[in-house]
Amino acid sequence: MQSILAVDDSPSMRKMVSFTLSGAGYHVVEAVDGQDALEKAQSHEIDLVLADQNMPRLDGIGLTRKLREDPKFKTIPILILTTESSDQMKQAGRAAGATGWLVKPFDPNRLIEVIKKVIR
Amino acid sequence: MAESYQEGSGAGADFDLSQFYQIFFEEAGENLDQMEHMLLDLDLEKADDEELNGIFRCAHSIKGGAATFGFSDVAELTHQMESLLDRLRRHELQPIPQMVDVLLESADASRSLLARHQAGAQDEAPSTASLVRRISELAAGMVPAPSAPVEPQAPPPPVAKVEPPAPAPAAVAAPSGLRSLHVRIGPLDRMEQAETIKELFRDIPGLGSIADLPCSDTNARLFAVETSSTDSDLLDLFTFHVAKEQVQITEAGSGAAALAAPADPDLAEGAVSNLPPGEAYGFFNNAPGAPAGAPVPAIQAIEPASAVTRIAPKPGAEAKAGSQSQMESTTIRVDVKKVDQLINLVGELVITQAMLAQNSLGLDSATHQQLLAGLADLDRNTRDLQESVMSIRMIPMSIVFSRFPRMLRDLANKLGKKVEMVTLGEATELDKGLVEKITDPLTHLVRNSGDHGIELPADRLAKGKPEHGTITLSASHQGGSIVIEVKDDGRGLSRDKILAKARERGMDVSDQMSDAEVWQLIFAPGFSTAEVVTDVSGRGVGMDVVKRNIAALNGTVEVDSSEGYGTKVSVRLPLTLAIMDGMSVGVGEEVYILPLSSVVESFQVNSEDVNTVAQGSQLVKVRDEYMPVIALEKIFQVPRFDLEKSSTIMVVVEAEGNRVALLVDELLGQHQVVVKNLESNYRKVPNVSGATILGDGRVALILDIGGLVRRARH
Repeated sequence: MQSILAVDDSPSMRKMVSFTLSGAGYHVVEAVDGQDALEKAQSHEIDLVLADQNMPRLDGIGLTRKLREDPKFKTIPILILTTESSDQMKQAGRAAGATGWLVKPFDPNRLIEVIKKVIR
Repeated sequence: MAESYQEGSGAGADFDLSQFYQIFFEEAGENLDQMEHMLLDLDLEKADDEELNGIFRCAHSIKGGAATFGFSDVAELTHQMESLLDRLRRHELQPIPQMVDVLLESADASRSLLARHQAGAQDEAPSTASLVRRISELAAGMVPAPSAPVEPQAPPPPVAKVEPPAPAPAAVAAPSGLRSLHVRIGPLDRMEQAETIKELFRDIPGLGSIADLPCSDTNARLFAVETSSTDSDLLDLFTFHVAKEQVQITEAGSGAAALAAPADPDLAEGAVSNLPPGEAYGFFNNAPGAPAGAPVPAIQAIEPASAVTRIAPKPGAEAKAGSQSQMESTTIRVDVKKVDQLINLVGELVITQAMLAQNSLGLDSATHQQLLAGLADLDRNTRDLQESVMSIRMIPMSIVFSRFPRMLRDLANKLGKKVEMVTLGEATELDKGLVEKITDPLTHLVRNSGDHGIELPADRLAKGKPEHGTITLSASHQGGSIVIEVKDDGRGLSRDKILAKARERGMDVSDQMSDAEVWQLIFAPGFSTAEVVTDVSGRGVGMDVVKRNIAALNGTVEVDSSEGYGTKVSVRLPLTLAIMDGMSVGVGEEVYILPLSSVVESFQVNSEDVNTVAQGSQLVKVRDEYMPVIALEKIFQVPRFDLEKSSTIMVVVEAEGNRVALLVDELLGQHQVVVKNLESNYRKVPNVSGATILGDGRVALILDIGGLVRRARH
């Protein structure tokens, strides 16, 4: 079973994402912010990271940058969830090494569709 | 690829998002509370990034959730708040009090919108249009004229305020020649937003003309505009209705192609604002993990790194926010009913355990060694369990205190006063049941301080006091009680006024009364010395109700005041209502429980120290202090079967600063008792505050020491 690290500071969004992905047959590891995600990524086998952009302590792009520094996470897909699909955000995401982005709000079916495109 | 922003919202075919609503409502409520708290704490002169980011994040989180779960009215309002806050945190705007006001009002409005959704209300939602307009005005850098001071009698409703339409800025139409422009509006959540732009041209004479142009984007509109206004004037106008980022203005002919067909990657380079911001998702070309042959967004042509704005939180922000997220991941939400049921069950367990312990007393320890060891373990485990379960119900006083800064701010605005609030000991914990019941009396006390205590700024200055009045709320543990103090540096109580008012009301008073006795007069029903009755306080409940409510919680209220310098009201409460440390005493065959917190000392009666005074009542001398003696045998008419026995032990108890000596037969011991309400299970009995079940299954009455003391003193 493939594992997805779902990172969001909002409990309701986290629950929604986690429920959706579990329902689609993925194992979900939840993290409450970027910092928490870094710790969880070290203690779990992770196949994909789905991170909210705007979070306390460490945001999605910051998390991506940190994860990419670690050879273990050089190639895994990292998707950024954001409410703003602004170009500045996209540029920053790309520069940090993110695989792609998904604009909030999103439909649960859309989330699975996007995940299936990138997870191996 | 070019899905609209909206399409993602709401539930998909296979997913019922309503199961997450409750979590979202609670989360949004917390975010609104936190935002309100931070807004009130915000120092407008030197607001730091961390605070502004924190407030922004609250609005941002609510918006994200509301949009996801389909609460579009909340999403729209919070989106506006977010836009304003975004400009603030980017230092594009200087925070001003009007912004805090409108954000607080919007938080209130969001709260009531959410409450409607939570209750499943179907009726028409209160309009937030005027709030939205005020926020966008402020976000556009306009400062509305300060509103006239509000009359105390007519507080404005926080939501659904109807205001005249925004006056068009006078300087829109410049006398220069007409320019032909192309204006692209989008991506839009609601396409009708673009219509409002067209209406602007219709409503504002001299602004120019507007006409539709075909647009390839389904969630954007393109217009041909002829106007003599400058781009920035137009932008200011448009941002009443749409976000600044949603507006692109170009000279007709030059950039029209880019606007009409924004997905052309060649145009993306160096012209970031022309990129299509509308896709619902996308992958970066050649990025790690990106699918081969995946839909490629226009971003591919952009040079990375150099052009990137790095968003890194400040180290300080990390540390501060850290504790918050820590808290979130280590707590669970439980229905209070479940906790209460748990407490009840543990209470029963404590009683059963006590019964077993009692029954095992006569057992031979040699033959029943294992059983007795087991019972000893049970005793210890029960006690530990009881303590842990009780601690679940304990919540910090900050829950109560946090509502006051906002209330005081509104009150001060209404009365034209300047009040600062200081809170101390917010972490002090108190039983949830008590917290709920103490909130109203405390609210009343704080209001009183703000309304009657703190003087108007001019009066304060005239008295040589600082313009700002200070109200200090503090909570602390003292022994088995919690003491909550409401202190102000206002005008204080006037001894003369109180005495005059008391005489007017025909109360029995004299000039020789001590200050403490005079202050107690304010607790008389209907007593008020306020010269002007405002809608804030002075009507409705008085201090008598405050005192009665606190007494019902086994608590006491004390007042201390100094005219011209301020007033301090101290409320003393037991930590919990459910379990009490008691001392059991025997009278005849009966057992009574005294709350241990009120027991001062006990001693064997020395007949020389007891004097009988008028009407057979007795006084006992304890270390040079005379106190009334109450024989429990007489009060409760305890039958005597063993005439050899008599009451020879006195227990000194204290309540409301007065002491009495209770005459009992024997002291049986100290233990924790589970308090059962006698009134709801039987009826109210004078001098008794409740009952408990003893280890042998008998019921013992818990004495109401306050009642006994009052009985003896009067």
